[in-house]
Amino acid sequence: MPIRVQLDRVLVERRMSLTELADRVGVTVANLSILKTGKARAVRFSTLDALCRELDCQPGDLLAHEPGPGDTIEDDGEA
Amino acid sequence: MRLPLPPNPLKRGEASVPNWLGAPIKALGPGSVSSVLKVVLDVAYILLWLITGILLLLVIAAIFIPLDNVNITVSGDSGGKQLPLTRTLLLFGLGAATAYFGGFMLILRSLRRIIRTLTMGDPFQPDNVRRLRQIGLTLAVVTGGVWVAQGFVAKRLAPGVMDPQGFGELLTPIFSVLIVFVLAEVFREGARLRRESELTI
Repeated sequence: MPIRVQLDRVLVERRMSLTELADRVGVTVANLSILKTGKARAVRFSTLDALCRELDCQPGDLLAHEPGPGDTIEDDGEA
Repeated sequence: MRLPLPPNPLKRGEASVPNWLGAPIKALGPGSVSSVLKVVLDVAYILLWLITGILLLLVIAAIFIPLDNVNITVSGDSGGKQLPLTRTLLLFGLGAATAYFGGFMLILRSLRRIIRTLTMGDPFQPDNVRRLRQIGLTLAVVTGGVWVAQGFVAKRLAPGVMDPQGFGELLTPIFSVLIVFVLAEVFREGARLRRESELTI
């Protein structure tokens, strides 16, 4: 995925744990973990809004684009 | 802080279907149409299992029982025909019947598993795509087998008594199989969308 989520970096900068963020944002730790490890397919604007508000940052601080071979939406390894 | 959830009057697995009384009935979940279907399928599955088992025992018995001076009558619209009952003929008949009921038992087994996922409110699983394809394939083999067996009986065993099978009689089974395969593709797309939804945070 060419879009990289830099949640771990922002969390370190804010000295905040994933559990605390999950509690503040109202998203489960499992879902935040999916987001942090880059397995997520998409992020809702509402989630992004809550993350930016709680972490006091901009969407650009959380997301980065890295050009490279990206996987397609159809390619999800299922039949 | 909690994210606001979109207003949704129906819970997951409680899609409403209008019935004749005007009140909505549940299509998914416990106590729904699918759970009633599950009971019907369970009963049919047990019956088919018993029939297939008995037929299988008869196939085994047919290898050993003596068949001297036993005749069968193949009857059709234009009359009947007496045939000596040979062991090959008996095994063919019993084997064909076992395969027929066994095939439908396999179809029901897959259907029951699909219905089970439906009653749990989560039918769009990759496993259901595989099950639907299996159903389509089994249906194709069973209906094709019936067509071939009927053609064999009409041409070889009772020529002139039974009408030979035409390709027109294969149309309905072919359509049924096609519908099942199309449904499998619909479920594949559903499973993909579900996966997408799961990975949308």
